[in-house]
Amino acid sequence: MKIKAQVSMVMNLDKCIGCHTCSITCKNVWTNRAGAEYMYFNNVETKPGIGYPKNWEDQERWKGGWQVEDGELTLRSGSKLTRMLKLFYHPEQPELDDYYEPWTYDYETLISSPRKKHQPVARPRSLITQQRMEIKWGPNWGDDLAGGDDARADVNLKKIGQEIALEFSDIFMKYLPRNCNHCLNPACVAACPSGAIYKREEDGVVLVSQETCRGWRHCVPACPYKKVYYNWKTNKAEKCTFCYPRLENGLPSVCTDTCVGRVRYMGILLYDMDAVCDAAKIPDEKMIYANMLDLVKDPNDPAVIESARKSGVSEMVLKSAQESPVYQIIKRWKLALPLHPEYRTLPMVWYIPPLSPIAKNFEDRVYLPKSEAMRIPVEYLAALFTAGNTRIIVETLQRLLDMRAVMRQKEIGETLPQNLEFEPLEYERMYRLLGIAKYADRVKLPAGLQGKTHEELRELQGSTGYACPGGCC
Amino acid sequence: MSGFLWGALPYIAFTVLIVGTAYRYWTGERGWTTKSSEFLAKDSLKVAGPMFHLGLLMAFGGHVIGILVPKSLTDGVGISEHLYHIIALAGGIPAGLLFFGGFFLLMQRRFGNPRMKVNTSTMDVWLYLVLFLTLVTGFGGTLMNAVGLLGDFNYREAISPWFRSVLAMSPDVELMADVPLIFKAHMVMWMITAIIFPLTRLVHCLSFPFEYFLRNKIVYRRK
Repeated sequence: MKIKAQVSMVMNLDKCIGCHTCSITCKNVWTNRAGAEYMYFNNVETKPGIGYPKNWEDQERWKGGWQVEDGELTLRSGSKLTRMLKLFYHPEQPELDDYYEPWTYDYETLISSPRKKHQPVARPRSLITQQRMEIKWGPNWGDDLAGGDDARADVNLKKIGQEIALEFSDIFMKYLPRNCNHCLNPACVAACPSGAIYKREEDGVVLVSQETCRGWRHCVPACPYKKVYYNWKTNKAEKCTFCYPRLENGLPSVCTDTCVGRVRYMGILLYDMDAVCDAAKIPDEKMIYANMLDLVKDPNDPAVIESARKSGVSEMVLKSAQESPVYQIIKRWKLALPLHPEYRTLPMVWYIPPLSPIAKNFEDRVYLPKSEAMRIPVEYLAALFTAGNTRIIVETLQRLLDMRAVMRQKEIGETLPQNLEFEPLEYERMYRLLGIAKYADRVKLPAGLQGKTHEELRELQGSTGYACPGGCC
Repeated sequence: MSGFLWGALPYIAFTVLIVGTAYRYWTGERGWTTKSSEFLAKDSLKVAGPMFHLGLLMAFGGHVIGILVPKSLTDGVGISEHLYHIIALAGGIPAGLLFFGGFFLLMQRRFGNPRMKVNTSTMDVWLYLVLFLTLVTGFGGTLMNAVGLLGDFNYREAISPWFRSVLAMSPDVELMADVPLIFKAHMVMWMITAIIFPLTRLVHCLSFPFEYFLRNKIVYRRK
């Protein structure tokens, strides 16, 4: 056993309202530059839908993630040798039109236009060619369009086959915010010929060294989530950094900080590094989620604490692992699931599947239906979060329903359901964390890698650059 | 003049190539990249990219063999001059055609697709001119020589020994005296290529990821 710390995120899809605030604040901080305009380190997709870039989940086409061959994990995009042959032309590489052509508007014409019969118009202009363009596609083109053509093209729907008819009366949708999963077994890292992408030992954040990157772009198709982007201006790869400069100061990522719906949770998980490879290569992909849970270790177990200390996990990190809200949600209550575990990258952003809208048919007139009777088909959620294992989805949704039932019993005196998995008090804690979701409860991060407490860091705010003119200290 | 061209310029070229490239590496690794444009125009790269690079690598390999293996060695193992040239042309002509064809297609792509403008710097345009002239003089000279337009000139008795004398740090300028103009131009062109090399996107050829075959799949690094 070799225990390492991983900064992890949970998103409560039950509460995501699809407002895109996370995408916008992320963009304003990280990618509002030439060459990066098309990049969304964080985006919110309407599901069913093809997502961003178009059809990113179609691994027949992109060859992203890992596969098991003769009991060994190999990249779907090919061995090291075969990928060297793709250096001069890479067939699985997405191109600009798989994302969209970024544009701006000729705002100048609004103020410089001479007096005319009609209002002047700011027409769109490509940020690539600087020429006039017609906008035919863009990020979030299919936003909120449940049942549209894009929704029908969703590969997850194809996977679950005929059972789901997209009849108007059965239409469903949900939101899926996505950023880099900072995987335990990252395919982008393994695919990088230059060794530029690495996983940070201290907190598990996956980063691209802008010095070492040579622009071979093998990370782009290798990442099954398409969360590594190629900057067409600097010609280097870029990706979500989990806002590591903020993490290092004990602050959560910008998307977490600004989430209007209080959907996001951030905290530390302790995991067994030695078991990562075996967990990822189990032949039955429906078992990967269970293996991932096994990787996550109890931060209060003395053996785990000792092993963590031995491999250099600091006391501050240990302490926040013990308070970690994500550990509660993922391991203790088993409410959160990894996105597409079948890609075998062991993603460390987890999702609480959505219950709502709660009744499938208006005529049902039930307030808390069975989880199988939800409007969002269990099979569809299973295709997203459990490699098709519907049992896990039903169990997870049932816990959320039980929480509601316990709270209804408490508030309006309805009868308590039978066969509760946890004590009622436990459901109340669950409710506090998921329903009330105070910032301080959602985010428990160590003051960071600087070895200072939150208080000491606060005192340092604004001091850098002024305390010692000339930078002598 | 010939003393400078064949006695000094090669050393200037090599010095700039090595020192300049090292300097760029240490000070500007941030800008060291393949500068790939597949993202902007993918379909047009499908044939042209591999074709150009294969032709270039074949041509480069042919030059290394042709220059570094002396005539005495091939004579010694019983390869006649005629046979040698047949072998050289059998490899060289396909290489040249691939190189040329790939270059043509890539240029068509680069200057025909408006998106490619953001991937094309002024230095790139100069580089393509220099590469083109190097290619034309080399491939043209070889073809002219093969059909006998350059008389009984044998580059293995003039250019190759001169290049080896340069490498041995005692340049024999006399060897270049009777070399046809087109090959002289080819020599000057490669030296110009070497001089501008550190300033161009060509540096990516030094980044072939050999170390990738030796390292672990997952890379961990401390802050």
